[in-house]
Formats: sequence, C-alpha cells, structure tokens
Amino acid sequence: MNSLVARYSRPAFQNEGYGEEEQQQALADFASPLSLNFALPPVASSASWLRAMTDDHSNPNCPIKIAHGTTTLAFRFKGGIIVATDSRATAGNWIASQTVKKVIEINSCLLGTMAGGAADCQYWLAYLGMQCRLHELRHKRRISVAAASKILANLVYSYKGKGLSMGTMCAGVTPSEGPALYYIDSDGTRLAGNLFCVGSGQTFAYGVLDAEYKYELEDDEALELGRRSILAATHRDAFSGGFINLYHIQEAGWTKHGFSDTNPIFWETKLKKGEFSNVTSELV
Amino acid sequence: MADTSASRESCLHVFELEVLLGITGKDFTIIAASKAAMRGASILKPNDDKTRILNKQTLMAFVGEPGDTVQFAEYIQANIQLYSMRNASDLSPYEVSSFVRAELAKSLRSRSPYTVNLLLGGYDAIKQKPELYWIDYLASCAPLPYAAHGYAQYYCLSILDKHHHPDIDYEQGMKLLRMCTDELKRRLPIDFKGVMVKVIDKDGIREEPYVDDKQVYAA
Amino acid sequence: MAALSSYSMPTEQPAFSFQNQPQSHASGGPTQHSFYPYTDNGGSTLGISGSSFTIIAGDTRMTSGYNILTRYAPKLFRIGGEGPEHAGAKIVLSVVGFAADGQALQERLDMVVKMYRYQHGKDMSVHACAQRLSHILYNKRFFPYYVQAILGGIDEEGVGALYSYDPVGSYEREQCRAAGAAASLIMPFLDNQVNLKNQYEPDAPQGLEKPQLQPQPLDRQTVEELVRDAFTSAVERHIEVGDGLQMMVITKDGIEELYSPLKQD
Repeated sequence: MNSLVARYSRPAFQNEGYGEEEQQQALADFASPLSLNFALPPVASSASWLRAMTDDHSNPNCPIKIAHGTTTLAFRFKGGIIVATDSRATAGNWIASQTVKKVIEINSCLLGTMAGGAADCQYWLAYLGMQCRLHELRHKRRISVAAASKILANLVYSYKGKGLSMGTMCAGVTPSEGPALYYIDSDGTRLAGNLFCVGSGQTFAYGVLDAEYKYELEDDEALELGRRSILAATHRDAFSGGFINLYHIQEAGWTKHGFSDTNPIFWETKLKKGEFSNVTSELV
Repeated sequence: MADTSASRESCLHVFELEVLLGITGKDFTIIAASKAAMRGASILKPNDDKTRILNKQTLMAFVGEPGDTVQFAEYIQANIQLYSMRNASDLSPYEVSSFVRAELAKSLRSRSPYTVNLLLGGYDAIKQKPELYWIDYLASCAPLPYAAHGYAQYYCLSILDKHHHPDIDYEQGMKLLRMCTDELKRRLPIDFKGVMVKVIDKDGIREEPYVDDKQVYAA
Repeated sequence: MAALSSYSMPTEQPAFSFQNQPQSHASGGPTQHSFYPYTDNGGSTLGISGSSFTIIAGDTRMTSGYNILTRYAPKLFRIGGEGPEHAGAKIVLSVVGFAADGQALQERLDMVVKMYRYQHGKDMSVHACAQRLSHILYNKRFFPYYVQAILGGIDEEGVGALYSYDPVGSYEREQCRAAGAAASLIMPFLDNQVNLKNQYEPDAPQGLEKPQLQPQPLDRQTVEELVRDAFTSAVERHIEVGDGLQMMVITKDGIEELYSPLKQD
C-alpha cells in the first residue's frame, strides 16, 4: 500500500520555491527541461540579429563563431546500412575538437548523423529520441524511420529562417521498412535514398563512394568503403579530420565498428596499398 | 517573373535549374518534372518525385525553396483529399487551382511566404477537357495549353509555340515533350537527371515510363 | 566558437537555400546592428580530469578591450551545496567569455541543482547536471550566452568527470580542455602532455610499427604542475591573461580551492 501511495504521489517538497516570479522562472527551469520556449533577443528581426552575431560567413568579425566543415555519409546495401563520419569540429581556423561523436544513437535501431550546428543536432536528435520513445509507449511498437525523420523534418521546418543549421541523416532498420535512410536538413528538405554524403567534404566522399558503391556489397566491403570514403574526405577537406566513426545497422540493431584515428589508417592505406601517391613519404 | 526585392531576384536563379513542363492535348495533360534533387554542389537524389496527386484527376508539380515545396504540396494535398472525403466528390481542376491560388496569395502576405512555383495538371471529367494551370509563388494563376517553370521556359516555350496545337493526340504530345527534353539536354548547362513524366486523362493519373538515356549533342 | 560545421559545401556559388545565402552588401561594409549586448572580458580557463579528481582552473584577470577592469574576478563557481557558501558542493562550473552572461548562467545552474536537491532529497549527478547545463544553454539558442563553459565533478563511479560546452550547448565529456582567450596557446600543450598526442615509443622502429604512447590517468601532483605551467606560459604570451590563478580540485571529499599569484603586468 505504501509503495502504491509513493508511486502515485508527488515527491515531498515539490512546491518548494520562492515568489511568484521566481516560481515562474523555476517552473520553466525544471518542469520541462526540453521546453521549446526559447529566449529571444529584444529586437525586431531576431533571425538577422542572430546571423550578425554568429554567422562568420556574412560577418567575419562575429563574436560567436559558428564553425564549418564536416564529412558524414550513410548508405543502404544488402546487409543493412553503413554510417560513417569524421570527428572534427572547427571554428574558423581553430580546431575546436578532434573527438566529436557525430553519430548520435537515437535508440538501439536508429542512428542520426551530425553536420551543421553541433548543438542543434545534439539537442534536436535528443528531442527526436524522446518523441520516438513516446511513440513506442503510446503505440506499443517501434516508430518507423519514415515517421521519425518526418517528425524531425517538420520540427526544423517550423524553425525555418530562425538560424538553425543542420544536415542530418536518419538511418535505421525496421521490420516494416527494412533498411531505411533519410536525409533531413534545416531548410526542411527530407529525402529518402540509398546513399547520402553531407558536409563540406561531401564531394570527396561521393567521389570514392559512388565509384565502388553497389547494393550487393558484402558487409566487410561496405564497412571498408565507408571508412575509405571518409578517409578520402579527411585527406582533401581541411575542415574534416580526426577519427573515423563507423557504424553498421542491421535488423537486430546497430553495431559500432570503431572510432579510429585517421593518421595510421592513412599511412597504412598509402604504404600497403600504394594509394595517395600525391603524398611523398621521403624527401626526393 | 519581375520582382522588386534583390534577394528574391537572386533566389529565382536557384531553382530555375529545376525543370517543370506541362503540355495539354485533345484529351490529356502531360506533366514532366526533373528528377534531380540538388543541394549546393551535389545532386543528393537522382529520382526525386516533384509531384503530388491531389485527387483522382488533378496532379500538382512543384519547384522552389527546399522545404517549402513539399510542405506546401502536402498541405494542399491533405486539404483537397479532405474535401473529397467530406463531400464524396472531387474538386475540378479549376476549383483546385482557385484554392491553391488563394492559399498562395494568403501565404504571400504572411510573415513567412511559401516560395513555390507550381504546375497544376488535370482532366475535367464533366467538361471532358484537359486543363493546365501555371501558378507562381506570387500567386499568379493562368490557365494555359502548355507551360513551363524555370530556365525550361526559355527553351521550351518557343518550341511549343511553334509545334503545339490544342487538338493534338497523346502520341503527338509525347513527341512534343521529347523535343523539349532533348533541347534541355542539349542546352541546359547542368544535368537535371531527366524527367519524370505523369499523364492525366479520363482514366486518371499514371506515370509514363520515359526512356531518357540517349545522349543529345549540340550541333 | 559555437558549433561544429556547415552541412553544405562552402562554395562561391549561392547555396541552394534562400535563407542561408550570404548577404551581399552594396557598400561592402559590415552589417551594423545597434543591439550589441556582449563584451569579451578575456581570461582563460582549463580543466583536467583524473582517475579520482578533477581540477578546474582559471586566471582572475578581467579585461575590456585593452583595459584591465579588475585583478580578481573569479571565473570558477561552485554549483549546488548548502546556502550561499555552497557548502558540500561537488560540482564546479567555469565560464569564460562575457562575464555577465557567465554569472547569469552560474546563477541559473546553481538554482536548478539546488532545487533538484530540495525536490528529490539527493544530490544531482554530474552527468545529469552536464545535460541540464546543455539545455540551459540551448534554451538561449536564438539569443546565446556568450560563454564557453567547462563543468567538472566526480561521476557515480568516483572517477573525475569533465564536460566542455560551446555557447549554445553542444557538449562532450573529455579528459582535458582549455577555453577562452589563451585556449589556442594552452590546448596544444594539453594535447601533448595529457593525451600524449604526437608522442611515440622512443625505441620503436619507424614506419607503420611506430606505436603512439597511450595516455594514462595522471596523478594530482602532476596535473597541478601542468596547470601551473600552462598558465604561467599563457601569461607570458597573452595580454588578457594574468594576475592570479584560481584552481579548484574536486575529489570525493569536496572542493579544495587554491590560489596563487601570476604576473601582474
């Protein structure tokens, strides 16, 4: 009985607080941590203000530097989906981090990738994870990738023009759809497809990936192709680098295939396979 | 086309590379839309469907600001389908065009307008006439025998001006479309990955297989 | 620094979106906005986590442009604990950037952590606090706090935990992080000395078999020396860093605060 009461009653001191105003503020703070009431600057056009403050593309002297550059890719094949990313975060010419986890684990069967604003991707993919879990609880079955990606697409579309910046891929394998892959960006675009590369290194990754991609790839070939495509992008795109983050999604869920330093992989590829002949390993 | 705002002007360039074509004939309307979904320097998808079926005999094709396009098209689609369900009868293409135009006009005067250009193809089962409406993001709407959006206009309208007649049959219509797509392949500086062709006639809407792998070279 | 990357190609051509197009200015001058609620108050912070402790440090100089406003403005804050003295707190927040935003952020996080204890009757874990801080920062996504935050504490296993943030709340758990004016001076030093980047087995053969040294958890003495060295070096080469070094060592027993002078010029 006591346990029942405990389960259905609120924690003691729930209503601990201060005055009316603090109470409001506090409520906003702890009632819903993922509340969507964002603070706005007291100006007429918050979007252009935000751009002036954060967009170094239009204003190189902006105080809050939004960085550029990333390479992420995902492709569908016979054995599921491969998701691969680099791990570099840059702000101007400064490498802010070499260990960013750009694959976001939404749940055991769904992955999201991160390009654009790191915070935007982290926050909204976490929010998506929450929505997916709620869907599961409400409907007693896991959400389809199509539905999950549409939640995200509609969400970012509702913030269109406000300054969000994200280019993300939702990948997952569900019993109803099989392997499914969607591209979503902050314009509100949502595309289903077999193969996507996103970020400043996208063209380099596309180059390697398109040439050898086919749906009938074996698992190990697919993993190697994903890895090699990211390596190609980290080699040519200065905004990409760090570690190669590799995932494989199958019906049973995703498996991680390492967070591996590009440098030894590069030298192995060069010295053992003779690729990257533009790089000289000794003085001539 | 003309617009006062400079940013709009430069915007137009962006999706002018997407192709939208519509041709009517004696008893059919053909809608062709390019298959490439482009973003920046890349084609992200080579088989993108830029059309939505509104009801049994009305089809809408769209190009424009990414995000806006699908969002607007699906909004219209949902409303037209709702009408069909509630009233157990479909809106005619003309009625659909009025609704779409009104929605665009409303959006144009809102805080965040949809930047979407449309072709609305249909077959009016009562009048037994094919119909085609050219609609742009400024909510201009014109019923036309043939129409295009983007750079396709500059190449294709002259061809259609010369070769089109209102009473052509379906084969002649497809031949006209071939002339247009060949010219686009010949002269447009980018690869739009061919077109997806949909036909609306008395039997409804169908996708027409369109072989488009032949290279076309400028003379 | 705010985020991570643009998702499209950086091209000269206009991108395929209306909103994201670079604004072209007829005059060629920068966009002028009268509403500018930020200043950079300079200074630098750094954090290193060990196997049973976390050290967070910051200099105490506060500047505005080329003026030194004060020689003692702490950038390190205890979070949670009892009353205004934060007795018994085991989480430290360091903020660098705009001091007023930093203080506002500290007050908010402190309130959240204290309310959590009043409501649930237990202390908030660093993990939860870290996520919460991210959400507080993201709540001002469209009017950001101009701060770079580092949060330190001891996790549920008793291991030192360190989280670093960008101004709009993207965060990551790391071994070490430097932030603020001298981040570009200190961070490479930390990479080399803490994560042993570009250090190899001395007697190993060259080429592919040359193994990288694997980072080991450092002891407290070593870390304290690293922190001091990092700051004395930064003071030599950065005008916005100096005056005093404030260090907070978080262990399972609580927070120990150390202060030592840096060069005053």
